This record gives sequence, structure tokens and C-alpha cells, in this order.
Amino acid sequence: MTQLALEHFLAVGAIMFVIGLIGFITRRNLIVIFLCTELMFQGVAINLIAFSRYVGNMAGQAFVIFVLVIAASEASLALGLVVLLFRTKNTLDANAWRDLRG
Amino acid sequence: MAKLHMFGNSLSLGSPPVLPLADGNLIQPMVVLGLCIVAGIGTVMLLPARQDSSVRKLGGTLLTLAGLLFVVVILQVTGGPPQAGVGWEFWIFSGIAIVGAIRVVTHPRPVYSALYFILTVFATAGLFILMYAEFMAAALVLIYAGAILVTYVFVIMLAASAQGDGKRPLMGLAEYDAVSREPFFASCIGFILMGVLLFLIFDRASGIVQPASDVAQSGTGAAVHGSTQALGEYLFENQIVNLELAGLILTVAMVGAIVIARRRVATADVDDAFEPSIETINATMTPLSDDPRSIPVYGTTNPRQKAFPQN
Repeated sequence: MTQLALEHFLAVGAIMFVIGLIGFITRRNLIVIFLCTELMFQGVAINLIAFSRYVGNMAGQAFVIFVLVIAASEASLALGLVVLLFRTKNTLDANAWRDLRG
Repeated sequence: MAKLHMFGNSLSLGSPPVLPLADGNLIQPMVVLGLCIVAGIGTVMLLPARQDSSVRKLGGTLLTLAGLLFVVVILQVTGGPPQAGVGWEFWIFSGIAIVGAIRVVTHPRPVYSALYFILTVFATAGLFILMYAEFMAAALVLIYAGAILVTYVFVIMLAASAQGDGKRPLMGLAEYDAVSREPFFASCIGFILMGVLLFLIFDRASGIVQPASDVAQSGTGAAVHGSTQALGEYLFENQIVNLELAGLILTVAMVGAIVIARRRVATADVDDAFEPSIETINATMTPLSDDPRSIPVYGTTNPRQKAFPQN
């Protein structure tokens, strides 16, 4: 068994990102869609920290802090919007808003 | 700090070791592509859709099989099962994280998706600790599992409207939860992307040039314990403006969320019970009863601005 390498962590990050992407496309519940975005954020965070460890400085970890900041802001704003949308159409279905397609 | 000795190297002995690249190819990239196809088919079958549960069970089995094959291939290439102390935690944490992530995506009930997401967050925090990012692990658990997920669960509760039509295939779920959109198409895109990413990672990552480590130079050398102190010094020496901007963004987001969700007081059961009219403006300030719905709202005649709007 070799030592844990950069590739292991990159692979886990990529897999989590892709799973989040699939969920983002397939799910129709607005809340779950945003949950899948958070999943993609986590895959990216794993990548950033792995590269931070690999390069040997703190820039990657600092970047993850800002990713967390953006994720928190996005969650609060998006969930406020979800509540607003839910009260407008009384459903969480993303397809209920397909007339926005134009 | 001493408790963390189980993770291979001590965290308190100066700068932790730098993550190396694997020597030689980890696995054959074509094997990765094949396994991605199998996992993609499994995901298509596992995603919620109008079908009986045996198909979903088959999909889950297929997905598990692909994952196990993946692990077996990696173990075979890297020579035998891992000995204790050489990164076996990585396999546990990443296994939990990926299984949790798949369940987040495929579970038809949003509450369970959120709970599986908490599981994924904890496993990811474990991975962060393996990479000597203790502060980020703690922050991840605090922010994600603590703050963000509570907000999600709160909104799920607020918007709980699982009104299935009682038919057997939906099992009491709302239609938009029980039937996913374009599962085949999305899984094709996703697993093609995953195959290409893993191909690149395992095939081409050895081309990345590892720069000289500058952990030792950053901070005050021997006084740095773990990476938390080094991270703090890096943040406040190099990123101070960005840190202030992050605080500003959080404040703006908080104000924005309050503005967006300001009318949240109107719930479904009070909207028709209260109808403000002109005479409520001249009504007495003393509420007629203890019922809060009987308290009139003053100062507005615009129906768009009344305190309890209709929907």
C-alpha cells in the first residue's frame, strides 16, 4: 500500500462534484437542488485543500474559507427565495417555473 | 493534539508532511471509464422515478458493485490491503462521503436528503483532518452541519407539502419528489464528466510540478502547531481585505435574506381570517381578545402592503 497521494483526494472530490451535478440536473424539488449545490461545493473544497496540502501553503485553505462564506450567503438567500417561490405557487416543483424559459 | 496521533503523523511536530503524488499509475484509465459506465447505469436506475422498488434495488446493487470493483482494482494495483496506519481512514471517510452523497441525490424525501448530507459533511471533515486542515474540518461541521443544514431542514419543514395522490408508485410523496427529470441524460453527462476527470487525475496528474514547500517559511517556524495557526497568520497577513469583504458579503446576505423573506409571517391558516379594512385604522389600540389575529394593523390602506397578504 502506497502512501496516500494527491490523486486519491482529487478523485473523491471529482466524484462528489459529479454526484452533486447529477442531482442538480435530475431533482425537481427546489430545496434538494440547492442541497446538491452544497454537495458540489464540498467536492471543490476537498480539491482545494488537497492542493493546498500538495503545494504546501495556506492559500487553498483560505480559499475554502471564502467558499464557505459564499455557501452560507447563497444558502440564506436561496432558501429565502425558495420560501417566496413556494408561497407564490404553493409547490416546490422547479417545473412549475418553466414559463421563465421564454 | 496528542489524540490525533492515530492519523499517522503527529500534528504538533512543526509542519505536517506535504501530500505526495502517487508513484506510477494508480489504475488503468480504461478500467476507470468502464466502471464509470456501470456506475452511471446504476445511478439511472437508482434515481427516483415511476417504477417499482425492485428496479431501484437493482440500481443500488449495480452502483455498489461498481464501487467495490473500483476499490478492489485500486487495492490490487497498489499491492494488497492497507496496513493499519497507512491511510485506511481515507477509505472509510471517502466511502461514507460518497455513499452519503449518492443517497442525498437519490433519496426521494428531502428530509432524508438533508440528513444524508450531514453524514457527508462529517465524512468530509474527516478527510480534511487527514489533510491536516483541522480548522477547516471544524468550520465545515459548524457551518454546514450546524448552520446551513438547520436552515435547510427549517425550510423543508416550512414548505412541507408532501401531498401525494395516494397512488401506490408515489408512496405518499409529492410528484416532483418521486419522479426525477431526465435521469438517463443527466447520468450520461455526469458520468462522462466523471470518467474524463478521473482519467485525467489518474493518467496526467504526474505531470503537475510540485513546487517547493513554503510551509516552513510561513509563520513563525517552530511555534506553528498544526495548520490552524499558520492559516490564521496567512489570512491576516495576506488576505485581510478579502476577509473584511467576506464579512461584508455575509452582512449583505443577511439583510437580503431578511428583505426577501420579510413576509414569512403570513402562514396558510391566517390569511383568510384577517381582512384589514378602513375601519381597522380607527379601531381601538386594545386588542379585543388574546388571539393575535384579532390585532389590527394600522397605517396602510394598500392591500399590497398589509401585514398578512393573501399568499
